[in-house]
Amino acid sequence: MNQPVSKHLPLTESTYYILLALISPKHGYAVMQEAEEISQGTVRLAPGTIYGAFSTLEQSKLISMVGNEGRRKIYQVTEIGIQVLLGQIQRMEIMLQSAERNFTNWQKKATEE
Amino acid sequence: MNTELIKKTKWFWAWQDEQEETWLSEMANEGLHLDKVTFPGSYQFKKGAPANYIYRLDYQSLKAKDRESYLQLFADSGWELVGEMAGWMYFRFLPGEGKIPEIYSDTESKIEKYQRLILYLVVFLPIMVTVLPSILGRVGIFSSIADVLFALLMLLYGFSMFSLVLRINELKKNSN
Repeated sequence: MNQPVSKHLPLTESTYYILLALISPKHGYAVMQEAEEISQGTVRLAPGTIYGAFSTLEQSKLISMVGNEGRRKIYQVTEIGIQVLLGQIQRMEIMLQSAERNFTNWQKKATEE
Repeated sequence: MNTELIKKTKWFWAWQDEQEETWLSEMANEGLHLDKVTFPGSYQFKKGAPANYIYRLDYQSLKAKDRESYLQLFADSGWELVGEMAGWMYFRFLPGEGKIPEIYSDTESKIEKYQRLILYLVVFLPIMVTVLPSILGRVGIFSSIADVLFALLMLLYGFSMFSLVLRINELKKNSN
């Protein structure tokens, strides 16, 4: 299980928000809206990018089609997709912890001098 | 109401799609709105009021079953399909609140568009090399003329490949 997860890491910012949005089933445009909202406007996805990302993620089995709403295809993350997301979150936690540690050391030194 | 149709011919190579988009927007500013692409390099416009339309070109080899959902996603995002030619999709942006006037939001996916074109050329190559000489021979063209034609096509092929790779490199360089 570990091998297929690590080969997808690290995720790009776009892919991260797409997978996160697809924890609950959604069509492409709903993912665009949710990604913009939960990223606080820092990630805005265009339709060509979403379309390409969906086919790549579907091919690598991180998401799958679960139904449709008229002409819109509904996708959701798979079990592997969830594992990849968790792997990414772990990496981000390490990034934050390392930043916190080094900045604290730096501030400590600054106050000692 | 009678809408006036105006035809224009202008050649753009596949890697000049951004110039083509700009040209279509300039036409829209003059009140000429793309109605359809009738042939590669041949455009039909509808005359109307000048508008600040944004055009974007996508290249896709869509399967019939994927077509509707693809177009729906673009329509949801404010893009109207106004023309189609040999895998090229001509989209026009209808300005709206909270919509981005781009069809690609990162360099990777923009590069993938040109990679699809290269893939198309790669698939096409064996057909060209094996089928074409026999067709040219069968038609009974003098073999020297057939050879020249074939050489010209191969030259065009090489030029296209080279230009597409150059375009991808340019995009990669600009993103760093």
